[in-house]
Amino acid sequence: MIAARTELDDVRLKGPLGRVSPVVKLAIAVMWLAGMALTLRILPPLFLAGAAIAAGIVLGRIPTRTFARTLAPLWIAAIGIGVSNTLFAASNGDPAATELVQLGPIRITVEAAAGGIALACRVIAIASVGAVFTLTTDSTRLADSLVQQARVSPRFAYGALAAYQAIPRFGEDLATLRQARRVRGLRGGWHPGLLLGVLVLALRHADRMALAMDARAFGSGPRTFYRPTHWSSLDLVVGIAAIAVLVVALAFGR
Amino acid sequence: MLVVGPSGSGKSTLALAIGGMIPREIPAAMGGLLSLDGREIRGLDPTAVAARVGMVWQDPDSQLVMERVEDDVAFGLENRGWPRDAMLARVPEALDEMGLAGLQRQRSRRLSGGEQQRLAAAGALAPRPDILVLDEPTANLDPGGAADFMDRLAALRDERSTTIVLIEHLVEAAWPMADLILALDGDGRPIDVGTPAEVARRSAGLLRDAGIWLPLAVERRIAGHEPRAPRARAPIAGAARESATGRPVITAANLRFGFDRGEAVIRDVHLRIDAGERVALVGPNGSGKTTLARLLIGLLRPDTGTVRLLGDDPARLSPAALAERAQYVFQDPERQFLAQTVEEEILLGLPVAVRPSARTLMVRLGLPLDRFGRRSPYRLSGGEQRRLSLACALVREPAVLVLDEPTFGQDRHGYEALLEILHERLDAGATLIAATHDRRFVADATERAIKLDDGWIVSDEAVS
Repeated sequence: MIAARTELDDVRLKGPLGRVSPVVKLAIAVMWLAGMALTLRILPPLFLAGAAIAAGIVLGRIPTRTFARTLAPLWIAAIGIGVSNTLFAASNGDPAATELVQLGPIRITVEAAAGGIALACRVIAIASVGAVFTLTTDSTRLADSLVQQARVSPRFAYGALAAYQAIPRFGEDLATLRQARRVRGLRGGWHPGLLLGVLVLALRHADRMALAMDARAFGSGPRTFYRPTHWSSLDLVVGIAAIAVLVVALAFGR
Repeated sequence: MLVVGPSGSGKSTLALAIGGMIPREIPAAMGGLLSLDGREIRGLDPTAVAARVGMVWQDPDSQLVMERVEDDVAFGLENRGWPRDAMLARVPEALDEMGLAGLQRQRSRRLSGGEQQRLAAAGALAPRPDILVLDEPTANLDPGGAADFMDRLAALRDERSTTIVLIEHLVEAAWPMADLILALDGDGRPIDVGTPAEVARRSAGLLRDAGIWLPLAVERRIAGHEPRAPRARAPIAGAARESATGRPVITAANLRFGFDRGEAVIRDVHLRIDAGERVALVGPNGSGKTTLARLLIGLLRPDTGTVRLLGDDPARLSPAALAERAQYVFQDPERQFLAQTVEEEILLGLPVAVRPSARTLMVRLGLPLDRFGRRSPYRLSGGEQRRLSLACALVREPAVLVLDEPTFGQDRHGYEALLEILHERLDAGATLIAATHDRRFVADATERAIKLDDGWIVSDEAVS
């Protein structure tokens, strides 16, 4: 896991997509997702997912194996969501709907299947765009870029960066608390006290972190930047290309 | 200046006050006068204090803000508005001062604990503060990491460019470095202030009685002066007792474990521990001591291999059966607390019949429930938290007692109380397994040391 993260790191910084400003990539992702909401067709989300994956491999230089490992569970989840929505859709019980197939007691209608497939495609698109963004974006660069280019408050951006790094710690805390319950002879599983314990620890960690940040004069006045970020022509090119892709995708929806 | 005092004497509070965090960020009643260059800290803008005072705490994890080493050092400079060129020059310099040259691009989470702590110090030093306050900076480090850290601190002291306020329990390294020692008693009142020589001459006995660790040389001298103070503490290993019975309590074969795909933490461990044995698990940070200890009593399941605790796979025992056979005391007491008050904490999951003995035990550990019962476990001092977590394990009188860094942050009184109570449990036939860096504890409480390195057992021998 740790080794994979550093391997990714090099890719994130080297590929052209890795050099694009994270703010631009974030804007593209939001724009695409908003664009998808304009249509209920199947092709536009699939086209966007395909474009994102192609961009991730060609421009992002994401190693195929890493990419596949990241996408596989997300896609499986997407298909699962599609299937369950097909099975439990209200239109299955609608006598006016066209029957597609009868599986024992379960009647599946064309309308339900279409809805399920459309939903699965959407989730696949969201997951793929999100994965490409994550796999080509370094979190430090994201924070720097948010603060410098998108004028996000440093307290929010660097606070979020610190919190993001603390995520593995919360997992460890939870594991330790569960072990602590076990040696006290208390049954395992999910006890509400565990959640409270993790919350208390997270808050205490955040407190200490805030103290450490303030001790280093955080928020004391205008900041300078160790890693300045600048807009580049690449940002413009990628931005325009992304708009073009969205327009083409929506054209499929007509 | 070195600040010494027993657990709960307010050393950390003093550090926070010097850093300008009390009373501004942490509300507290504060009297008296604390001034920086003749100006009272309370009246100063916190920013003005932060600009002059650098702080380093115990836990590297909660003071490293940025993802990479160089960004973290630069963080304090960015906040103070340093021009970029100055930062580019200063960051490698500060890293070099702390012996971290060449690690700029590393991710700080991948450094060892010792390196992380030196990184925290580099970050505090980068803006060239007038005062550097360090609150037990070596507490989480293995002996090698701690020695490296103290070496760097000594070099910094020799430069004489920064005033250092150090709270430290590694007295052998810290006393010779100090120009001035401030000793506090258990209620936070000063016992003495002076040069190490003056303090040793005037008040060594008082310090010892307050529960403060002293350098060996000073300790020997007062022991020589006062024949009435014999070594109260009989080494457990030497005490008369039923020796290891030859009946195995724990066996492990072909044990392997890794948290994630790939990276193994424990590699092919074979081990047998007999009833009544006192075993120390030693080795550097990250060598797998804690993981092995948890595997042995089934808190973790091995990837391959088998563990038997009194004949059964401990990972399959019911929690109640496991709790009777084995108890585990976690390294960081704060991260094992399950209740909102000290009383609930000690009584949690405890059979009613054992409750009276819990009360007596708490008194003996210096945490009587009538005084501490209603307090939040998180509000105790580090030493008190450790004793509470020990009490939760000891009160169940388990056959196997597993301790992870049991002496961490203990003052002398806490240490002696711990040894005495351990002694009783062990004489009753319990088996001890302790993962520890503390050589004193290894010598005082164990008879067999298993050394781990990178997940392998590299030696297994009797403690001399």
